[in-house]
Amino acid sequence: MKSNEVRVARFDGYERVMHWMAALSFLYAALTGLAIWSPVLYWMAALSGGGFVIRGTHPWSGVLFTAVIGWMFARWAKTMGLDADDRVWLTRMDKYATHQHDALPESGKFNAGQKMLFWSQVVTALLLMVSGVVLWFPEWMPRSLRLVAIAMHPLAAIGSIAGIIVHIYMGTMSVPRSMRAMLLGWVTPNWARLHHPKWYREWRGSTNLR
Amino acid sequence: MTNGWTDVANADVVLVMGGNPAENHPVGFRFVMEAKRLRKAKIVCVDPRFTRTAAVSDCYVPIRSGTDIAFLGGVIHYALETGKYQRKYVEQHTNASFLIAEGFGFTDGHFSGWEGKKYDKATWQYELDGNGHAKTDPKLEHPRSVFQLMKKHYSRYTPEMVAEICGCTKEEFVRAAEMITVAAAENKSGTVLYALGWTHHSFAVQLIHAAAMVQLLMGNIGMPGGGVNAQRGHANIQGSTDMGAWNMLPGYLKIPRANLKTLDEYLKANTPKALAAKSLNYWGNTPKFMKSLLKAYYGKNATAANGFGYDWLPKIEETGDHSWGAFFDDMFHGKVEGLISFGMNPVANGPNTKKMLTALSKLKWLIVAENFETETAAFWQAKKLAGKDYPKALDAASIQTEVFLLPAANFAEKDGAFVNSSRWLQWKEAATDPPGEAWRDQEIISRLFLELRRLYQKDGGANPAPLLNMSWDYALPHKPLLSEVAREVNGVDLGTGKQLNGFGELKDDGSTACGNWVYSGCWTEAGNQMSRRGQVDPTGLGLYPQWAWSWPSNRRILYNRASTDESGKPWDATRAPLKWDGDRWKGDVPDYKGDAPPETLPAFIMLPEGVARLFAPDLVEGPFPEHYEPAESPVLNSLHKNASANPMLKTYSTEPEAFGTAKDFPFVAITYRLTEHFHYWTKHTSSSSQLQSNFFVEVPAELAAAKGISNGDMVRVSSARGSLDGPALVTKRLRTLLVQGQKTYHVGLPIHWGFVGKVTGPLINNLTPSAYDPNSSTPEYKGFLVNLEKI
Amino acid sequence: MLVAKLIDTTLCIGCKACEVACQEWNDQEYTLGTFNGSYQTMPDLAPNFWNLIKFNEVQRNGAEAWLMSKYQCMHCADAGCLAACPAPGAITQLANGTVDFVHENCIGCGYCITGCPFDVPKLSPASKKVYKCSLCSDRTAVGLEPACIKTCPTNCLTFGERDEMIRVAEIRTRELKADGFKDAGIYNPAGVGGTNVIYVLNDAKQPEQYGLPKDPIIPWTVQLWKGPLKALGAMVFMGSILGAFFHYVVFGPQQEEAADEVE
Repeated sequence: MKSNEVRVARFDGYERVMHWMAALSFLYAALTGLAIWSPVLYWMAALSGGGFVIRGTHPWSGVLFTAVIGWMFARWAKTMGLDADDRVWLTRMDKYATHQHDALPESGKFNAGQKMLFWSQVVTALLLMVSGVVLWFPEWMPRSLRLVAIAMHPLAAIGSIAGIIVHIYMGTMSVPRSMRAMLLGWVTPNWARLHHPKWYREWRGSTNLR
Repeated sequence: MTNGWTDVANADVVLVMGGNPAENHPVGFRFVMEAKRLRKAKIVCVDPRFTRTAAVSDCYVPIRSGTDIAFLGGVIHYALETGKYQRKYVEQHTNASFLIAEGFGFTDGHFSGWEGKKYDKATWQYELDGNGHAKTDPKLEHPRSVFQLMKKHYSRYTPEMVAEICGCTKEEFVRAAEMITVAAAENKSGTVLYALGWTHHSFAVQLIHAAAMVQLLMGNIGMPGGGVNAQRGHANIQGSTDMGAWNMLPGYLKIPRANLKTLDEYLKANTPKALAAKSLNYWGNTPKFMKSLLKAYYGKNATAANGFGYDWLPKIEETGDHSWGAFFDDMFHGKVEGLISFGMNPVANGPNTKKMLTALSKLKWLIVAENFETETAAFWQAKKLAGKDYPKALDAASIQTEVFLLPAANFAEKDGAFVNSSRWLQWKEAATDPPGEAWRDQEIISRLFLELRRLYQKDGGANPAPLLNMSWDYALPHKPLLSEVAREVNGVDLGTGKQLNGFGELKDDGSTACGNWVYSGCWTEAGNQMSRRGQVDPTGLGLYPQWAWSWPSNRRILYNRASTDESGKPWDATRAPLKWDGDRWKGDVPDYKGDAPPETLPAFIMLPEGVARLFAPDLVEGPFPEHYEPAESPVLNSLHKNASANPMLKTYSTEPEAFGTAKDFPFVAITYRLTEHFHYWTKHTSSSSQLQSNFFVEVPAELAAAKGISNGDMVRVSSARGSLDGPALVTKRLRTLLVQGQKTYHVGLPIHWGFVGKVTGPLINNLTPSAYDPNSSTPEYKGFLVNLEKI
Repeated sequence: MLVAKLIDTTLCIGCKACEVACQEWNDQEYTLGTFNGSYQTMPDLAPNFWNLIKFNEVQRNGAEAWLMSKYQCMHCADAGCLAACPAPGAITQLANGTVDFVHENCIGCGYCITGCPFDVPKLSPASKKVYKCSLCSDRTAVGLEPACIKTCPTNCLTFGERDEMIRVAEIRTRELKADGFKDAGIYNPAGVGGTNVIYVLNDAKQPEQYGLPKDPIIPWTVQLWKGPLKALGAMVFMGSILGAFFHYVVFGPQQEEAADEVE
């Protein structure tokens, strides 16, 4: 059977909606956040109605993002646990970056790098939300909290955005056709075997091709 | 004020007592701060409360409310004992050297002549020589000289006694006395600023007398930066006083009494005779003032033949009393048919609100002319609006009084003159017209007058003559211009038709008319002197003679002749309001004959004796001020337990006039005003309502701790008259005082709330007693007894 | 030329005239307060109340002292609000030293509230923008003194060239010292580069007694957010993007093998 005629189901509809809700809310929060963050980027505020408007909308996009991250957590937290292979994988990330797949332990549905991204986004989302609420209502919040939040919020955002930059690069240019997985929900067996061999075998074992 | 606001900047010592100018006269207080800043003046603040004035003072002494005479008596004692008084001034310008009749004395709380209810003043008089002039001892050594009598009288007011009565420490008192008596030096002057903290006592006039004595001993009367200075509480209350009261015609002429049947009898009884050889005795001109006033009232109808219409003047019974307490008592007893309340709010500002409300409910009609619906206009709703404070008898359904609320113009909607504390008549223009159906006061009064006169003309009636003979010569009789009234008040020469230049031109033959002799000169042929705004200051003393016009005669410092010695040499050459140039007096308008050389007349030309009175027999409870306890006091008088309160205290004995004792009401209550509000009026305006939105009760921290009261807790304050509730403001600024060795606490009650307005709160006069000063008939709003409970 | 407001607390009588003048000139809406156990109009400044007299009851040497101090924007040389503000043009510092809020540019984030060491700016729940004393920039622009200065009855408030005000304050301090206030001094905190509102205190060692912070500085976290974090962020973001780009250039995409058959 031709490989390209077989579809390996990678993400179901819920997951895809979930991911893209996170992606869009993140994108909005990040862009509006960046506009507020730096005068150099303040022009971006105009894209969404100006500074006064984004001051109102940014927190809500953050709330949405955090909520979706929560959903993701509920759905993926178990899958995202690191096993022994993952830990070895993490020590050999340089091999991954230089495409020496043979030197890496086999990955499951998500490789250790993806898992790390997941956890880092969970943590930064939490930090962003907590500090964000403090910054959202300065008139109700004690000054000491605001002083912590004013530094914590951008710090967490820097971490979060950097992670997402890498994530976007990986999902678009570095790993061709992974976008299809998130848009349409399926990958080819070949793709699965290369990037997620363990997961591929699980699929292969449970699938009767004819 | 004997002096004026701008003059306070000339003081070296400012004694603030019975007043709280930083809070209640903040604009005038700039001159106190100027003295402090530029002259390094010391501010001494004596007050039961640590006020905003105390906050910027150099010396603060807390005293129990109502013990001011003890304190000032102590200062007099201290000055005489230590010699810190201006001896030459006292010898030359006071009656210290005058001899008093045999038999004068003071025993067990009473002066000689006590008859159980009143005084026979026979022994309070000067010993006269064959010419009817007082005998004197210039050396002040005669045992019956005022000086020696004074020394003896105040020998009891030792610092220890002051501390025992007032509740401050002896050291605090002595420190204040030292500062105050710095002004005894010829080149130092001290001022006294007071207000309602003195006048709201049942011995108020004596208290001010005591202050005058201190100032005379210090040589401060007539001096720049000196004087006894009453800070008036309303923009024009000085003017209101100058223009008359129930017992006074305009210009402080006495009201005719029924026993003085003719003008001649009136003038004979009310024109004083000189008591010293050279005395100018200016009140000897009373016939000129009175006849000119009658000419102003009755115009052509006033003739020599009919006693210038003296018959038409309303007369008061020989001993009749129509002061506040008396007429509300009459009203309470149903003896009054109607009341016109003009710019007055008796329900809020009369003592014992329950009595005020009950009295009004017995009227047939009540007219209130006001800017807002006041508590008085809404008195019939008191039960509904402030229910728990008042008895059922005050239910609207049972009140038959017909109330008319006439919308009256506001101050900014009227022109005319305000007479400020400095006695300056400052003319102002109306900023805008009255809104809606509101009329200016003069229009309301004129229309009322014209309609009443029309009815008398049409229907007749009892005693129409006073109305029918009244002169009403205004261009628009129903709407006189205040400029017309002001010209009439200034006075006119009826022969030439020219405006008078001053009261010196008044005649006693009916050829001049003058509405108020002390204001004569305010609108001369040269025009309206009150609207002048010249800022020149030739003396450099801040007298500004071309700013507005000051009564009398545009004089800025009263008794200024006393700023020099007998020979005309100023006590302090750097601060001389008057200088004799060999021909005339230069500087301020002299309180003296302008061209009389220094030694021809004594300095106090208004007094028959020509000198100032340390000993003043005209007051009803004694010629020297004596400390008496308030009508309600936590203690018996330390000086004389058997005459504890003022023997001449005025009270009324009707049912709601209850008095309490320290057993049931152990705390001393004081009522006062706050910077943020003006009387019961600004609770109708948004700005003042924001600045202080809430009524509160000030509670001493120590008392609060004992009663478990925290800041903001609701408390109930009750007196023998009634009660009220409010949140506590717990503060250390109300100190615990040791009176006769016992801890004594004050409870502070700011007055400004009521049952109508943008912000509302209890009326503090629910609590106050109907106890009155016998001289001025002012109620004792300060220093009465209450209880305090947490609720 | 820098201007300054001089507040001589030793001459303040707490009359609140400056509060009313501020309300009137700036067309503020009056609101009713609730009892807060003090003579103070309200516990703190408010979006429609920019000038507050603080009534500080303290004990000094065992005696009562009631210190009145006018509280409002200090117009700092190093303004914490300005340091914190993310919206370009929302806070400006005029040549005369006035720190002024330009409300059409304000986004209402409230960072200035956190940046201000004096806790002055207040967020209006109605307009969602932040307000504070403007030093009456609309008056000073035409040569008038601020409204509060105009109305002060006791000369507690003066306004003028900053050097002159400092000179007056120094004279006043000397006078107070001569009068027995040995710790009298000027409050012009160096931590914010000096202020254009300066105080004369009769005890400058205890500014807290007047409701003034002892050593106000722009909080380090605010400075962190404004400075180092921006640089860090820029480096991280540019690093990530460039890193990804060059990774692609060097290593290209991860191609799966062209196996056609599913094993």
